[in-house]
Amino acid sequence: MADQRQTAKSHLAELLRSCVQCGLCLPTCATWLATGNEVHSPRGRLLLLEEVLNIEDPDTNIPVAFLAAFDHCIGCRACETACPSGVPFSLLEYGQGLAGDLVVNGSPEIPQPAVPGFVLRRLDSPSVLRFLGRVAGGTRSFFAGILGRRWRSRLDHLPVGMRSLVRLVGSMPTAPETDDQLRALLDDLVKSSSVVPPQTYPEDAPVSDDSPSDVAFFQGCANNGLLSGPSRRLCELLRSAGCRVEVPQGQDCCGALAAHTGRPTRAAAQHHRNREVFNKNTGTGSRIVVEAAGCGLELKEGLGDLGSQVIDAVHLLSGLNLPVLRAVPLKVAVHDPCHARHGQGISQQPRELLSRIPGLTLVEAAEVEVCCGSGGVWGLRYPEISEQLGRRKAENLATTGADLVVTSNPGCLGQIADGLALIAPDLPILPLTDLVWYAVKPE
Amino acid sequence: MGTQKGPALAGLSRILGPDALLTDPAARLVYSRDSSHMTLGRPLGIALPADASTLRKVVRFCKVNELAVVTRGTGTGLSGGAVPNEGEVVLATSQLKALGPVDDQGLRVRAEAGVLNDQVSAHASSFALHFAPDPSSQSISSIGGNIAENAGGPHCLRHGVTLHHLLRLEWCDVQGRALTTGRGLACERGIDLTSLLCGSEGTLGVVTAADLKLVTDPQSVATMAAFFPDLNDATGSVVSLLRAGLMPVAVEMVDQPMLEAVEAAFGFGFPTDVAAAMILEFAGQPEEVAEDADQAGNLLMGNGAREIRRAEDAATRMELWKCRKKAFGAVGRLAPSYVTMDVVVPLGKLPDLVREIQVIKAKHGVEIATAFHAGDGNLHPGVHYDDRDSELRRAAHEAADEIIRTALAMDGSVTGEHGVGIEKLHAVPWQLDPVSLELMWDIKRVFDPEDRLNPGKALPPPGSALAVPPSVPRGCTFNWDSMTVTAEADVSLSELQAQALERGLWLPVGLAAATTQADDPMGPGLGSDRSISSVVENILFSPALVAGGSARHFLLELWAETGAGRLLHTGAPVFKNVAGYNLAQMLCGSGRVLAQPRAATFQLRPAPEKLGVWRFADLSGDGNFWEGIHSLIDRLAHRDPTLGGPVFVIDGSQEDCSASGPQGTVTVLAPGRDRSWDLGDLDKRLVEVASLAGLELLEQKRFDFRSWSHALVHLPDWALAWPDWSVSAKRIQGKIEADRGPGDLQKTSFLPQKPPSRMIWQASPALVWIPGSATENEGWCCDHCCSGGKPTQLPDPDAGVPLDLLRGMKKVFDPDGRLDNPLWLKDENHG
Repeated sequence: MADQRQTAKSHLAELLRSCVQCGLCLPTCATWLATGNEVHSPRGRLLLLEEVLNIEDPDTNIPVAFLAAFDHCIGCRACETACPSGVPFSLLEYGQGLAGDLVVNGSPEIPQPAVPGFVLRRLDSPSVLRFLGRVAGGTRSFFAGILGRRWRSRLDHLPVGMRSLVRLVGSMPTAPETDDQLRALLDDLVKSSSVVPPQTYPEDAPVSDDSPSDVAFFQGCANNGLLSGPSRRLCELLRSAGCRVEVPQGQDCCGALAAHTGRPTRAAAQHHRNREVFNKNTGTGSRIVVEAAGCGLELKEGLGDLGSQVIDAVHLLSGLNLPVLRAVPLKVAVHDPCHARHGQGISQQPRELLSRIPGLTLVEAAEVEVCCGSGGVWGLRYPEISEQLGRRKAENLATTGADLVVTSNPGCLGQIADGLALIAPDLPILPLTDLVWYAVKPE
Repeated sequence: MGTQKGPALAGLSRILGPDALLTDPAARLVYSRDSSHMTLGRPLGIALPADASTLRKVVRFCKVNELAVVTRGTGTGLSGGAVPNEGEVVLATSQLKALGPVDDQGLRVRAEAGVLNDQVSAHASSFALHFAPDPSSQSISSIGGNIAENAGGPHCLRHGVTLHHLLRLEWCDVQGRALTTGRGLACERGIDLTSLLCGSEGTLGVVTAADLKLVTDPQSVATMAAFFPDLNDATGSVVSLLRAGLMPVAVEMVDQPMLEAVEAAFGFGFPTDVAAAMILEFAGQPEEVAEDADQAGNLLMGNGAREIRRAEDAATRMELWKCRKKAFGAVGRLAPSYVTMDVVVPLGKLPDLVREIQVIKAKHGVEIATAFHAGDGNLHPGVHYDDRDSELRRAAHEAADEIIRTALAMDGSVTGEHGVGIEKLHAVPWQLDPVSLELMWDIKRVFDPEDRLNPGKALPPPGSALAVPPSVPRGCTFNWDSMTVTAEADVSLSELQAQALERGLWLPVGLAAATTQADDPMGPGLGSDRSISSVVENILFSPALVAGGSARHFLLELWAETGAGRLLHTGAPVFKNVAGYNLAQMLCGSGRVLAQPRAATFQLRPAPEKLGVWRFADLSGDGNFWEGIHSLIDRLAHRDPTLGGPVFVIDGSQEDCSASGPQGTVTVLAPGRDRSWDLGDLDKRLVEVASLAGLELLEQKRFDFRSWSHALVHLPDWALAWPDWSVSAKRIQGKIEADRGPGDLQKTSFLPQKPPSRMIWQASPALVWIPGSATENEGWCCDHCCSGGKPTQLPDPDAGVPLDLLRGMKKVFDPDGRLDNPLWLKDENHG
């Protein structure tokens, strides 16, 4: 056991040696940008990890400040993209693992979330999320009803405890449930947009013959629980492109939530269960489509051999021949979820997909590579930094002059919606696939 | 440490608030390191002040409580300058993030120390402006850190290093006083504290903000990569390129091992079986860029390049630059540890040094990968080793030291842009002689008598200097390959210029000849010539087509005799040098108050070929003369200033002209290369704009630049004095209003209330000379200047000029007052 630990440590130490401490990772690190404290930067965390790996005596306690520093990492992996020396993110993951106990058992160094721990630990369930989403949705409508469109900023001056709750309500991801709601929202946007509609509207585009015939659809807790409308529409889109979409029964949470809250055993069990379900239902060569970027990365890394069959929904759509039937004259800003951009290298595909829609103008926000500060449950544990990052992201997006923001991860969707509610209440955010659906399904 | 830990931290916490003082073990570890891989000890605490005023309180508190302060930007220094000793206070400027509005007329912006280098350019991008210094760490290094190290970068070849882009510093001394350097005009006379502070690595004061000069974005850019099978061919080509009169904005190189690392990191698809890859960039007008890039391509192919790739679009250009700029970070792929050097040699010696490095590499059996700022003669050879092998480590450090000594033997410098920090302390004594090091320490003691500011950095211990200074050179010696000239004090500028122009080079600071041609149709001539001594003392900055620089920016090396009769040799004949304090440029322009110049080395530049002269008059009599001029100047103001922006000489005003006659004339002078894309294009645009503005062309001439003095004789003597203020083109309408500089300038009452009868306006950097109105301050604009002992406009302590420090400097250089002695330096009660 000790030998094993020693081998693992020397392996990590070897990986760590590729860090030349150049600091080029800092400007893409959300927690460094928010705090200005180098402890909360990738380079800082690696310096701390180096110190930890140098501890010979296994009984030596790692200073809590070190563990807190590891835990502050959102896990967005922007540093991995930025690093010229190829320092692997697994090093920081190891650090986060060390902080796991701290998270599970609570510690004064780790802020406690507004949501009680027992709820937090059950968030990887669609029914819990559905319940929370309904409560949040109702509360939000209530606030909006009595305080108007700027309800979020009006509640921004509450005491800290209350504010966390308001923030939780505000950052629950939502999207139009019914198709008519979505159409109405986008119709209105198009009407008020300054973009000149294109003269020629697209004719019926032929459906590609070489579309993959079978795809297995991974639902995901948040999408399944909170965003069932977008999920359904995504499946419709895939079918329009000629895919046969299966939704295998018995799926579990992807495991990301447990992995990120220091519960590796639970995560492993969820990986195992999903492997079984998808092994049974997915033929070799057919793809497992994942809607949420966070789940996609977790599945690619956690499903073993099956991982290579996992594909991000937007990535898949961008390769399909979709019959675009409607021009959408809007200025649209894309927010890349970190686990798509940095985790899976997906950033061109969504832009390529959207650029096929006539009349649509893509605008790019500053700091496009920086995390929005959601980080799944991270945002609930570090609400102040998270809110700061949400505002920062919203400001960057609003500055582009976009009519609409789209993204493909439920966490980002809620977090940015909350930031926009404070900064630019008129700028809506939608799942990216909903926008594509609108262009493809005019009636 | 004289103060107990607990009370000290409690005191700091009271000033900063608990969140802005970090004392936990994680922070003390992280802030004990920077990019240098060096460490000394753990700091007592880390202060993250939210604003400059809190920062000053922290500095003052530390002085009172006998704590040493290490100022830190973002910790990307490569020489350990921001690494604290045990128990020191780290003062991080990362929260000073304010970035002022872009002044697109004055081409400047105010940035606080914690603003990142990249953010300045991003901020100015909508005005088609950028901040030129671009160290490879620019995405993360801070302006404060850039200033502390006098950072360079690839594009410094054309635009100069950080110092050349500083108009004014806001700083605090060890007592925590809020101080400034000057008024923020493009270049000021006086004891130049900006030159002294920039590159002093936080040992003299803490810079909290700076007014930065911005550079116009070029209309067109061509970036190309050339791959050389032979390393000597590659280094030799750098010299050939510049000597051919081509002035790329950047000439960079990486050698084969470095290329391999970069290729492994990014997979650009570059060949890795070549000895070197050169990246060069041209910028300017599209036709000019295309012509230069073609010419450079042919030259490089003729010099042994195997292949040349041109970046056709912005994305490919970014890729090429990534190859060079991320090279540093990619070295982690080569070996776990490395010693990176930062040696500079005169450009002509670059091929020799690279050859010697190969010999040293073989001799010590080490691996060396090199990234070069080739055009600057600045090399970053990295000796790579595994630090777990003590034998390898010893060999690596021996090889590194041998490379440094080799560069010094070639008149080079230990460090061009990384700074001394603690990493190069051992090598600096090989470069500095005892007199210069002693003066540096004397200055340090004036600023920081108790050695509280970043102790143990930048300067090697007193008495450690080993170098023997070169004797004062005689006459005027050109080093054509290195594009430098060394001249004795009494050599005349015109003599120097005439010789340089013969070879297509010039010192872009001043008029060449003492021509007085009374019968010249354009007016009376100058009647005076300048000596090198006068150029150094008075920082000659004339409307003679200067690229926004001054003699100070081209001065590399200085021999001078201090008031105490000691012969000082400072600087080196290289384009970049940050070893020790920058005494040469600090003294340049300080009159004859601290020291008397004996000889100087200047950098030369490719000279323009022709000088275009256009004279316009308002013949319409509709009273829109000033409006017309405004329109003319405004449209031409953003011409690429590298060769020199156009100069406008405006004669006459509404008052002295009758309604029927011409209301004045404006003469436009512009240097150029006389190609269809250059002066020809300007000619077309000028006439077009002028006719729109109701101005008519009276005459148009083209002069050979070598005989340019003839063309410029109509410039009056006062125009060779100091420009009194800068104004934006928009304000030259009907009456002149001061628009430039900080508030105190606007309050100054000597501005004319009506249009002057004669004025000279330089398109970029927007400087105006007006006769008569300048008499009040004798043609000097600086607030701590000293003109030949005459009391000039007095330094104003309220405006942040540290009279006591200036007097301290006087005592160091001229303790007995033998040299010129302005009143304010003598009189403790004055001012």
